[in-house]
This record gives sequence, structure tokens and C-alpha cells, in this order.
Amino acid sequence: MRPALRSGPGRLLVAVYAVFALSASARALVQIATDFSAAPLAYLLSALAAAVYVVATVALVRSSERSRRVALVSVTVELVGVLTVGLLSVEDPVAFPDATVWSGFGAGYGYVPLVLPVLGLWWLRSQRPRRAV
Amino acid sequence: MLAPLALLLAALSLALAVWSLVGALRAARPSGGQLLLAAVLEAAILVQAVIATALVVGGTRPLSTATFAGYLLTIVVLLPAGVFWGLADRSRWGNGVLAVTAVTTAVLVLRLEQIWNG
Repeated sequence: MRPALRSGPGRLLVAVYAVFALSASARALVQIATDFSAAPLAYLLSALAAAVYVVATVALVRSSERSRRVALVSVTVELVGVLTVGLLSVEDPVAFPDATVWSGFGAGYGYVPLVLPVLGLWWLRSQRPRRAV
Repeated sequence: MLAPLALLLAALSLALAVWSLVGALRAARPSGGQLLLAAVLEAAILVQAVIATALVVGGTRPLSTATFAGYLLTIVVLLPAGVFWGLADRSRWGNGVLAVTAVTTAVLVLRLEQIWNG
């Protein structure tokens, strides 16, 4: 497949994903290394979010047909994650004494974590390979 | 960390962000002027990084030195990486990448100041 996944709008998407991969990883690392017992659930979810962003970034950069599927799965997990964690953190703040990237639907990050997977899914869908007839 | 220099860094990053955003909206590719601005911004970031490192080594430290160092390293490498990634796309999306990079740089400048001042 042509390296279309990382060109045009994809290039912008990769840039935003890379920023989130970096910041979510750093955040999870600091949280888990310094005070894991304070909020184990929130910190594990931070780590999950970080992993999802890293996988999605790499998959978009690789831009192969196989990595397109990987990106599709990771971006879907990301959307489910931000919606679930967002809802739980609003409904049951006690379970989330410390914030994750996805808390409050990503309010701490300008709601970018909520918009990003939607844009990602749209982009991946628009880049579906067409079968030769 | 010099507060006036931090203010300059924030102003330059926001200027680059607006310039790039306008470029993206006008479907232009990144211009030479933007690259010059990015180079000046990166030079100013390096000056601030050297000052901050000298202060930390000299014993003036923020509460969370490890976090501060992480942010400092990130802000130093972010702009060159963003410019490299953005320029590879000779379309409006290259400007989009520059805009994202510049906004992120501005946020990092703010976070660095917050961490430095505890």
C-alpha cells in the first residue's frame, strides 16, 4: 500500500498522536514510579492510554496495510477508553483520586483525547485500500 | 529560568502557531520566514535550557527536578522534530504540523514555568 496513512492530514494526525504518546507515557511513568499505591487504577489506565497512543503513532507512521489494521484497533480502543474512563471519572470520582489523560473525557488536555480517536477513525476509514476490479 | 525569557519563548511560540495556522488555512506550504522564526525560537529555547541547567547544577532547583528535566529535554527536541516532520509534507498539512508543534511548545513553556515556581 502507498504510504498514504502518513501523508496529508495523516501527517498532522501523526504529529498529534506522537505528542500524546510522549506526554501520556511520561505521565504514566512518573505516576507509577513515584506513588503507585495512591491510585493504582488511575495509574494503570494512564499506562494503558500511553501504550495505545504509542501503538497508534507507530502504526500510522509505518503506513502498511497490516499497520492500518493495528491502527484501527488501537484507535478504537482509544475511543472506548476515553468514553469509559471519562464517564467513570465523572460518575465515581472516588475511584479516580488522581487524573489520567482520559479523565473527564480529556478535559485536562483541551478535550483533544476525545476528538483525536474520532478524527483517527475518520482518517483510517477514508484511507481504506480499494480492491482492484 | 529567566522569567522574561520564558515570556519571550511563549510569545514566539504563539506567533509561530498563528502564522502556521494561517498558512494551513490558506493552503500554503511553510515559508522561509516561518523557518527563520522557528530557528530563532529554538535558539532562545537552548539559551533558556542552558540557564536552567546551570541553575540546577548550582543548587537552585524546582521541587520536582526529575519532572522539570523531562519537560526541558522535551521542549529542546520537540521543535526540530516537528519542523523535520512538517517540512517533509509540501502541502498545507506541513503548516498544520508546525502549528501543533508550536502550540505544544507554548504549553511546555507554561508547564516549565509552573514546575520551576513550584
